[in-house]
Amino acid sequence: MQKNDNISGILKSVSKPGRYIGGEYNSIIKNKADIKCRFAFAFPDTYEIGMSNLGVRILYDVLNKESDIWCERVYAPWPDMIEKMEQYAIPLSSVESGDPVRDFDLIGFSLQYELCYTTALRMLKLSGIPMWSKDRCESDPIIIAGGPCVYNAEPVAEFFDLINVGEGEEVLVEISRLYIEMKEDGSYSREAFLHKAASTIEGVYVPAFYDVSYNDDGTIKEYRPIFDDIPTKIKKRIISDLDKVSYPEKLVMPYIETVHDRIVLEVYRGCIRGCRFCQAGMVYRPIREKSPETLCKAAKCLYENTGYDEISLISLSISDYSKLRELTDGLLEWTDDAHVSLSLPSLRLDSFSEELMEKVTSVRTGGLTFAPEAGTQRLRDVINKNVTEDDLKRTIGIAFRGGKNNVKLYFMSGLPTERDEDIVGIADTAKTVVDCYFALPKTERPKGGVSVTISVACFIPKPFTPFQWEKQDSLEELERKQKLLKESITDRRIRYTYHDAKVSRLEGVLARGDRKLAKAIALAVDEGSIFDAWDEYFDYERWVSVLERSGIDTDFYTTRGYAEDETLPWDIIDAGVTKAYLLRERKKAYAAETTPSCAEHCNGCGANKLGGKNVWCK
Amino acid sequence: MVQVNNNTPIVLRVKFYKKGSLQYISHLDLVRTMMKVIVRAKLPLWYTEGFNPKPKLTFAAPLSIGTESMCEYMDIRLTEKIPTAIAKERLNANMTDEMQATEVYYPGEKLTALKWLAYEITLEIKDATPELAEKINSVLESEELQVFKKTKSGEALVNIKPLIKSASARVAGQRIMISCILSADPSAFLNPEYVIKVLKEKCGILSDDNLLEERYSIMRTNAYKENMTLFS
Repeated sequence: MQKNDNISGILKSVSKPGRYIGGEYNSIIKNKADIKCRFAFAFPDTYEIGMSNLGVRILYDVLNKESDIWCERVYAPWPDMIEKMEQYAIPLSSVESGDPVRDFDLIGFSLQYELCYTTALRMLKLSGIPMWSKDRCESDPIIIAGGPCVYNAEPVAEFFDLINVGEGEEVLVEISRLYIEMKEDGSYSREAFLHKAASTIEGVYVPAFYDVSYNDDGTIKEYRPIFDDIPTKIKKRIISDLDKVSYPEKLVMPYIETVHDRIVLEVYRGCIRGCRFCQAGMVYRPIREKSPETLCKAAKCLYENTGYDEISLISLSISDYSKLRELTDGLLEWTDDAHVSLSLPSLRLDSFSEELMEKVTSVRTGGLTFAPEAGTQRLRDVINKNVTEDDLKRTIGIAFRGGKNNVKLYFMSGLPTERDEDIVGIADTAKTVVDCYFALPKTERPKGGVSVTISVACFIPKPFTPFQWEKQDSLEELERKQKLLKESITDRRIRYTYHDAKVSRLEGVLARGDRKLAKAIALAVDEGSIFDAWDEYFDYERWVSVLERSGIDTDFYTTRGYAEDETLPWDIIDAGVTKAYLLRERKKAYAAETTPSCAEHCNGCGANKLGGKNVWCK
Repeated sequence: MVQVNNNTPIVLRVKFYKKGSLQYISHLDLVRTMMKVIVRAKLPLWYTEGFNPKPKLTFAAPLSIGTESMCEYMDIRLTEKIPTAIAKERLNANMTDEMQATEVYYPGEKLTALKWLAYEITLEIKDATPELAEKINSVLESEELQVFKKTKSGEALVNIKPLIKSASARVAGQRIMISCILSADPSAFLNPEYVIKVLKEKCGILSDDNLLEERYSIMRTNAYKENMTLFS
């Protein structure tokens, strides 16, 4: 009988059954007899989203390069499938073998954004694995978390046995090897394994090994390790040389359409810019580039093994790559002839050039996206987004003359020091773009008129940024500002979309939360919360209710603002950048003073102490 | 980049099967998949002209989700003739076990000559008795078979009987097998799911409350031309 035969009736009754079948070209099947460690890489969102994640692709490849480890993928089933699984008592299983997830040795969850927490926990429930780390027994798998959320995973820390802080290529293999070793020499027990991992593998955080005490006002008093031989602060792991680290030569080819169905080339890690709201720009430091030779070789190889007709160059700000011309020229040597197009998801307003646009759009037309982030120069200086209105005008001119008539602009509202004039400034900035179009002679304007979309997110203060102590705007204030902006837009060619302030409120709570939140999260899962990032499943009322019943005052994590001398929930982690640097940047923000990029000047952020072969910090 | 393409493309036909888990892949997803398979297979692909050149693939009678097939046909356009054995080998190396080419050739007929398709429907149900097979046969032999069917203008009650060339049921072990030949003409295409739908309504089989124990599978087995000779 074939893998999915017994559930064929169910597969025929759910939406998009292609999500659940596996058997993709380039997916990895191993002989169980040769395997000493079965690793389930779990992505707490749909197959279509999870298959697009670069981290999963990299780590799947790295783990499967080990002959005695078999890494398989697991995604969250859509609620219609979950209903059937619960009705027929079918446990969550992996995509490759179809084996129940609870039979694996290690399960690694990739936590990409806070709103996936309930989905991850629901996946544990569907697997028949206890949700709380303390409730698991010797026969249960070890549950691991990794990804950007673990820079403050405290709200979910007690659900995970082990947390991988930082880049996972080396750590996950080391964890698996330790597991195999201890199983083989008979020294394995959950406690012994976790203890050894925490004390010998850098970047491993075992939450249960740290007691947290609180002050009377609810702030954290201290983190106390319960063993002498585990670190008092967990230093994030980085890959030292990105030219030497393994990068996939093959990609699992999804049969169904996924979100990013293309070749993704990771050009470098880190960011030289230092935007003060941006967590990624801080926690992925130090900047480490790949060489154009490494990248060109990888691109050709991936093309031959996948047949994709698009290569996307990704990094936090692609135009800051020091060898961008060598890279694009190297790729264009063969991509045009092979009918392969290049795309760049992130462009900065100040470094966008005609040449670059020419290269990336040789096959495609359409729109361009830029992120001024704030509506006035003053506020852009506060957040250290070093772009000016002149940059915007120049860039938009190039885009229009290049035939683009569809411009999307990203902004935030609720930023520190923000006043109403900054909100109105967003509408003015959009109007400037429309005016740029009509300032062009008619013959140079792209056909079909102009369309400007402004997309406004609510600012959420994030750990390890200069704004980590800031107050988050209240729900009412965010909604008032949304209304103000709506009223300030008078031009019909400007389309305005904004994030739900309620979602941002919850994200704010989870982003800077502590372990006291765990009870509320578990309750939300028990009462049905899942896919919180999906509008159709986000239930704000339920969240308000479970938080209230768990005795949580959400203002404490949002509108309160954190004191500079308070112990922060994420002080248990050492992400490289120092608190002294973040504080310096915070003071400069209040003075509306900008900080030059790493390419111009070393600002002493502290990430260089992590090492790593890089261009900018020596 | 605009590529000038003076040559008339050469059509290469691939007969392939698509079975097992791949029955859950939609036609659109199949097209997307095949686009990458033919690139990986390094065939001398002919690209469409214009601003956004693409290879061109044509399929006969799209297969719907939930139906397996031993006889799918796809036409690929090439710039030059290559030996069919090499094309077959390279295509198969770039597809998984559940989808493989069985014949690759330069066709004499157009895909539109395909008019009828044969299916084997397997019912895995608790009471797979001769009596039930008999009942199914009597339903299938009725003068008229009215069923709500998707049409261009929404759902309508349609008599599908004229779209059924032949259909008969028999008991095979614990199962009931139905062999049928249905219209594949694009203007009067009959999805075999409608045969299931009729039988669900008239014979009360395949309840939706017991999806693990009562189930069915459909396999497309053969393709015919108008005169009922085999399509190739």
